[in-house]
Amino acid sequence: MLKKRRTFSERMIYLSTMIFTFLKLQWKSFFRGESVGVNVMTKVFKWFGIVYFGFITPLLGFLTYKVLKEKLEIEDPFLYLNKNLIYVFAYWIVMRYFIQPIPVVSIKPLLLTPISKSQIVRHALGKSVFSFFNIIAFFYLIPLTWVLINKDYQVNQLIGWNLTIIAFVYITNYLNFILNNNDKLLYSIAAILVLIKLLEYYSVFDFTIYSEAFFYSFYTNPLYSLLPWVFLIWLYFYVFKYFKNGLYIDLGLKKRTEEAKIDDFSWLDRFGKTAVFLKNDLRLIKRSKRARGTVLAGIFFLFYGFIFYFSEDIYGPSMTFFGYLFASGGFLFMFGAFVPSWDSQYYSLMMCQNIEYKEYIKSKWSLVVIGTSISTLLACFIYSFLGADAIFAVLAGGLYNIGINGYLTLWAGAFTKTPIDLDSNKNIFGDTKAFNMKTLLIALPQMALPIALFSIGNYYYSASIGCLIVGTTGILGILLKEQVFNLIIKAYKTEKYSTLKAYKQN
Amino acid sequence: MITLKNITKKYSKQTVLDIIALDIPVGQTFGLVGNNGAGKTTMFSCLLDLIKPTTGNVLNNGVEVASSEKWKSFTSAFLDDTFLIGYLMPEEYFYFIGELRGLKKKEVDEFINQFEDFFHGEILGGKKYLRDLSKGNQKKAGVVAALLGKPKVVILDEPFANLDPSTQIRLKQILKDLSNNNKTTILVSSHDIQDVTEVCERIVLLEKGKVIKDIVTNPKTLKELEAYFKG
Repeated sequence: MLKKRRTFSERMIYLSTMIFTFLKLQWKSFFRGESVGVNVMTKVFKWFGIVYFGFITPLLGFLTYKVLKEKLEIEDPFLYLNKNLIYVFAYWIVMRYFIQPIPVVSIKPLLLTPISKSQIVRHALGKSVFSFFNIIAFFYLIPLTWVLINKDYQVNQLIGWNLTIIAFVYITNYLNFILNNNDKLLYSIAAILVLIKLLEYYSVFDFTIYSEAFFYSFYTNPLYSLLPWVFLIWLYFYVFKYFKNGLYIDLGLKKRTEEAKIDDFSWLDRFGKTAVFLKNDLRLIKRSKRARGTVLAGIFFLFYGFIFYFSEDIYGPSMTFFGYLFASGGFLFMFGAFVPSWDSQYYSLMMCQNIEYKEYIKSKWSLVVIGTSISTLLACFIYSFLGADAIFAVLAGGLYNIGINGYLTLWAGAFTKTPIDLDSNKNIFGDTKAFNMKTLLIALPQMALPIALFSIGNYYYSASIGCLIVGTTGILGILLKEQVFNLIIKAYKTEKYSTLKAYKQN
Repeated sequence: MITLKNITKKYSKQTVLDIIALDIPVGQTFGLVGNNGAGKTTMFSCLLDLIKPTTGNVLNNGVEVASSEKWKSFTSAFLDDTFLIGYLMPEEYFYFIGELRGLKKKEVDEFINQFEDFFHGEILGGKKYLRDLSKGNQKKAGVVAALLGKPKVVILDEPFANLDPSTQIRLKQILKDLSNNNKTTILVSSHDIQDVTEVCERIVLLEKGKVIKDIVTNPKTLKELEAYFKG
């Protein structure tokens, strides 16, 4: 049979109707969901965050040259930048893996419709082009290039260099698709990254020299930038094929199972009834990729303080304190923000078991407290070489996170009715993101009060007094535990039925 | 044991449950039948305080379920897969429920071992998490967990669905033994009227949320129910 070739305009019409159909489906799933209110709120926060980064990133682009030249007294900041690009991209891959959501289209129902498989995959891959993680690169590159041109770097050569960087940004974009579905590749890349860092740390081998030579060559020979683009195009088609071939329910859409092993956490039994739940939560973190990723992300935030410590001149002491506060709160804001959603799949079971609601919530609180205490101790250790002030700030932040933010997060949990599909990472089109930006953005308002308290103390007296005020507030919160708990339980009890209903939408 | 008074559940204008009075005495094996949308699961959810009825209240052993949590210590249930914790192994799941019911690990082991036949070697000692078991095996684990710790009231929604014939027969025997030996009040719903008539001493038929028939099981019951469902 002869296939009629479509004209260009017919193709365009077809394409736009397809895109429209997909968008309509997603629109419906958003507005017909149980927790529309929460969704809208998180969207608002998300845009708030995007605006924040959209503002801060160009600023970084403008300042990179100046800071490197004047603060760090580096002779050629552009060379220095190229030297470190290898780490920038390494970091970018890691960030993407943990944060960037893989575009999700509910695949199975579409398989039997006249929408072609290529169309489905193209939609998923195409959507990611406009991901925050790609666009933000332009926000940085444009002002940076503008500054560089003003510092007498060659325009046409900079264009070649920019094209190269953009190609690499998109290579990490599509690499992320594969990493999310291929554990072996993930572990090998992780091992290579660690190895590079170790070899450099012990000065066995310095990759940055090669990074410098490699990336700088695209500046000296702009034509070379074709090569990464060729690679990018190849990678796109590789990913495209990979996903298209996976569109069978016994291949890519099949659940991957792992061999189960019993974990005996009986040493926890000394903590009484709380231990019963703690044991399960530990197993959850160990066995669910999503929970595991969230905890790992929390660990990243341990190092958050450094960002603001090294740029205190720009952001001021209040932001440095913000960094320390986040360092101890990583677990709380990442994992804690999804309590009780972690139990969403079996919430009815929890509601029928021989345990009172209060005890259940208390066990969740204990988990958050233990996580935050460990984070605080680790952060104290990490920042100890920055001096006593840093330790003091970390401790104050930790106390506040336990005494105030712990309750706030739990209380907010009564209203965050987002079900979490713990097993969803099991298929390649599933929602593989370990956590998303929205948790982070919900956490931001919680930071406003302690920073205000610190700033007042710092403004009128000193940083130590500021820390003291924040720490004392935290201790007060811990002392008021029973009263606060009664309020939290009340919120949970009124919300119980609608939470159960929302979780059923899993 | 369980008393329902003036229970109604309305979603906007649609009434999905409307029970004026229903009393289930201690030790009774109670069966609930009806077509899809008759309100079986809604009724069980109300008994477990998972859904708040629009009017009326439920007493479980004298405890009002919506205002007190005391009923939780002597009541257990398995309604659907939201009663399973997917990332646990079956053993861990049994220990977890057992611990909440105040059982020691050894006691749980002893209890579980009685069900070796029922499990058919597919639940214990395997290398799978509950999420990776088949629907039928998941149900077996869930039902047995609901029997842990000698509850006075056991509520099972569609316990026979998804089970293979041998397992169905074994499960019926287990439920019969339980009601004969322990004076346990058992509430079961099913689409299979034959299963229910075999197990239950009393059968209530729901239609659009209302009690249509309330029968003490006798040799004619199956015929009577069949006549209803034929329309």
